[in-house]
Amino acid sequence: MLPKRNALRVFTKRKCYEIVIYYAPIPLIENKPMQRRKLLELGATWGLMQAATQAQALKKDDTAPLRIGLTAVILADQAAFLTRWSDFLGARMGVPAVFVARESYQNILDLLFSDQLDAAWICGYPYVLHQSKLQLLATPLFNDKPFYQAYLIGRHDNRAAIKGWSDLKNRVLAYSDPLSNSGWLVAQAQMRAVGLVDQDLRRSFFAHGHRNVAEAVASGLAQAGCIDGYVWDTMQLQKMAAAAQTQVVWRSDWYAFPPMVAKRFDGNPALLALGEALQNMPADPQGMSLLKALNLTGFAAPDAAIFEPIKALAASVGALRV
Amino acid sequence: MLPRLPYRIQIPLGLVLAVTLSVLLVSVVAAQISARSARQEIVSTVQRVIDLLVAQGKPLLAQDDTWHAFTLLRNTAALLPQTSKGQSRAALLDAQGRFLAGSDPIRLPTGEQALGVLINGRLLPTASDANRPRTLTTRDGGMTLIEPIRSDDDQIIGFVFAEVDAAAFAPDWAARSTPALVGAALAIIVLVPLGWLLGRRMARPIAQTADCIAQIGRADPARLQLLLPQVQDPELNGIAGAVRQLLMETAARQANAQRALSAERLAAVGRITAAVAHEINNPLAGLITATRTLRLHGDGPDTRNRCLDLIERGLQQIRTMTTALLPQAKVEDRCMTPEDLVDVITLARATAAQHFVTITSELDQQSELFVPSTVFRQVMLNLLLNAIKAAGQSGQVHARLSTDAHKVSFVLFNTGRHFSDDRLQRRLTTDDGNDPNGFGLWICHEFAVRFGGGFTAVEANDIPSPFATCLSFWLPNLTHYDQQKPVAD
Repeated sequence: MLPKRNALRVFTKRKCYEIVIYYAPIPLIENKPMQRRKLLELGATWGLMQAATQAQALKKDDTAPLRIGLTAVILADQAAFLTRWSDFLGARMGVPAVFVARESYQNILDLLFSDQLDAAWICGYPYVLHQSKLQLLATPLFNDKPFYQAYLIGRHDNRAAIKGWSDLKNRVLAYSDPLSNSGWLVAQAQMRAVGLVDQDLRRSFFAHGHRNVAEAVASGLAQAGCIDGYVWDTMQLQKMAAAAQTQVVWRSDWYAFPPMVAKRFDGNPALLALGEALQNMPADPQGMSLLKALNLTGFAAPDAAIFEPIKALAASVGALRV
Repeated sequence: MLPRLPYRIQIPLGLVLAVTLSVLLVSVVAAQISARSARQEIVSTVQRVIDLLVAQGKPLLAQDDTWHAFTLLRNTAALLPQTSKGQSRAALLDAQGRFLAGSDPIRLPTGEQALGVLINGRLLPTASDANRPRTLTTRDGGMTLIEPIRSDDDQIIGFVFAEVDAAAFAPDWAARSTPALVGAALAIIVLVPLGWLLGRRMARPIAQTADCIAQIGRADPARLQLLLPQVQDPELNGIAGAVRQLLMETAARQANAQRALSAERLAAVGRITAAVAHEINNPLAGLITATRTLRLHGDGPDTRNRCLDLIERGLQQIRTMTTALLPQAKVEDRCMTPEDLVDVITLARATAAQHFVTITSELDQQSELFVPSTVFRQVMLNLLLNAIKAAGQSGQVHARLSTDAHKVSFVLFNTGRHFSDDRLQRRLTTDDGNDPNGFGLWICHEFAVRFGGGFTAVEANDIPSPFATCLSFWLPNLTHYDQQKPVAD
C-alpha cells in the first residue's frame, strides 16, 4: 500500500469528500517495471495535483486570506483568542488571516508543502529537517529571548519518583510528537546519553501535543513525559490542573524557540507583512495583550543561526534526514 | 390526637398523610423492582460500552495509539456505573493482554500484563483463553468482562476489559427515594392549602351550628335560628334541624317562664299588699276599742289622756309602717319604752276577750331599751295576736319582755298545740301567701334578719306548763354599741 502523502478534505453540510494523494518513493518506481495501471494512477495523481494547484492560485488572486497553521507549540485551542489574533493580524497586514490548527507537525507541514497553508508555526526540529524548503518569518521571544527549554516531567505524588533520564527504565514515557524538538528529539539524545533505548522503556507513546503530555503524566497514563518548557510554564501560569499535578524533573539546554515559517521562495507579499506585524506586536497595546495571553514578550527578526544546536542535536541521534 | 384537631387541620393532614403514604409505598415497591432489575441494566450498559469500545478501539489498537485509546476510554468510561466513585473502569489490552490504556491509569497501568494475572484481586484468563467474550463474577457480586477485538481477517488484535465492583450494583436508595420525597413534598405543598380550604369549607356549617348552640340561653332564639346554616348534607341538615327544634322549644319555654314571672310578680305584689293590710289591721282593733273607751269614759281626764295617747301611738305605728314601704322615705323612729309593751297588751286585749284568752305579761328590764319602737311594737303585736289565736278558746298567753346590755328579747308563751322550731322554719321558707298567720311570722323573721336579731321557737321540753308553744324574738340592744345615737331605720 502506498503511504499517504497528503489529503484534501472538502466539507459540505452533509458529506465529507476526501481526496487522498498517494505517492510512491522513486526507488520503488525505478526498481519495478512500470505497469499500465501504475501509470494511470500517477497520471491521475498528477492531474489532481495540478487541479489543486490551480484552485489554490485562483483563491490567492481573489484576496484570499493568509492561512497560518498552528501546532502544539502553543495552547491553540482557545477559539476566542485565535479570533482576536487573526483580526489583529488581518488589520495590520491588510489581508484577512485565518488560523488552521492541526494535531501534529506532520499534518501542518503537509498542508504547508501542498500550498494549503501560507505560513505555519512549527517546532525547530521540523524546521531544521526542511530548512532548505522553508524561510523564517519571525521567532517568538519567551522572556525576551528567542529560546526555550525542554522539560522532563513526572507526577507530584509518584512514590517511585523519577529524578532523571536514567530512572526511565521499565517506565512509561509520553512523547509529544515525532517531529518535536522538546517532545521527542531532546529525549532521544538524553536517553542515548544515559544508555537507554526505546526498548528499555515499558512503553512509550505520542500524546499528540505538549498539553496532552502533561495530562498523560498527571493522570498516571505515563510516569514521565517530554514537554515544551514554554507550554508547561504557560499551563502552570494559567493554573491548569495537569501542570499543578506534575513537576519538572529535568531541564534541557536552551534551544531556538519554535519559529513562524513559510515556504521558501513563496512570493506572497502578505508573508512579509505577517513577519512585520508579528515583530511589531509589542508596540501595540492590543498586540501586547495578545502576547500576554500567549505568555510571550514579542517576535524577533529571523535568525537561522540560532537553530544550529537543534540541527546538531538531530544529527547526533541520526534524526537529521535531510 | 388527630380527631381532637379541627377539620381545617384534620383534612389537609389526612390528605397529606394519605398521599405521602401512597407515594412512599409506591416508591418502596418501585425501588424493590428497580433494585432487582438494576443489575441486569448495569450488565446491559457495560455490554453496550464494550461494544462501543470494540468498534472504536480497533483502529487505535492497530496504530498502537495509547493516547487516543486513553481519551476514548476516559470519555466512554463515563457511561459505566459509578465511575466517578471509582467503582467501575475499562481498558484496552493489546494482543498479548497488556494494558494499552485504561480509564483509570493508576489501577490499570499502561504496559502491565492484564490477562493471565491477578488484577484487583481477580485472576483473569490468559490471552489464549479469552478468545471469546468472558464474564467473570466474584463472590461479592463484582463483575469483569473481557471481549476480544478482531481484525478484518479474524485475528485477535486486542481486548476490551471492563470491571465493575460489587458496590456499583448496590441499590442507591438515596437516589431512588429522592423522587418519592420530592413527590411527597409537592403533595404537601399542594395539598396543605387545598385541604385547609376544603376543611374550612366543610367545617363552616358545623362551626356555625356550634356557635349557634353556644349562644343558646344568651341570645334571642329567633335570631339564633337565622344563624343556623342551610345545608344539603343529610347529617348536617339533621343536626341543624335538631338545633332549630331546640331553639323553638327554648323560645316557648322562655315565653312560659316570662308569663310565670309576671304571675309571680303579681302574686308577690298581692302578698305584700296583704301583709301591709295585715300590719295595719292589727292595731286597728285596739284603736277602735280605745275610741269606744274614750266615747264612754272620756269625761275623766286620766282616761281621756290615756286613750288619746294610745290612739296616737297606734296611729303613729301605722304611719311609720306605711312610710317604711316607701323606698325613698327616710323613716325616723323613737326608741322603745316599757309603755310600748303595755300599749301592745292593751291593743290585743280586745282580740283576747273575743277568744276568752287570758293575757299576762312581765317586764325584766336590766338595761335601757335601744331598739326601734315601731319594729318591736309590730313584732310584739303580731306575736301576741298570733298567740291569742293559737291558744284558742279559754287559752292562756304570757308575754315577757327582757332586756340586758346586749339584747332585747320578747318571749311569748301560749297554750294550745305545740309549734316546733322546724315547723316555724318551714313556715318561714314556704312563703305560703295563703296563710294569714304566716305574714306575721314572716315579717317578724324579716325584722330579725334585717336588724341582726333572731326569731326561734323553743323546743317542747323547755316550755313551762301549762304552755305548749314558746316563740322568742330578740334584737341587739344598741346601747352597748352607741349610746348617743338614736335608733333609726
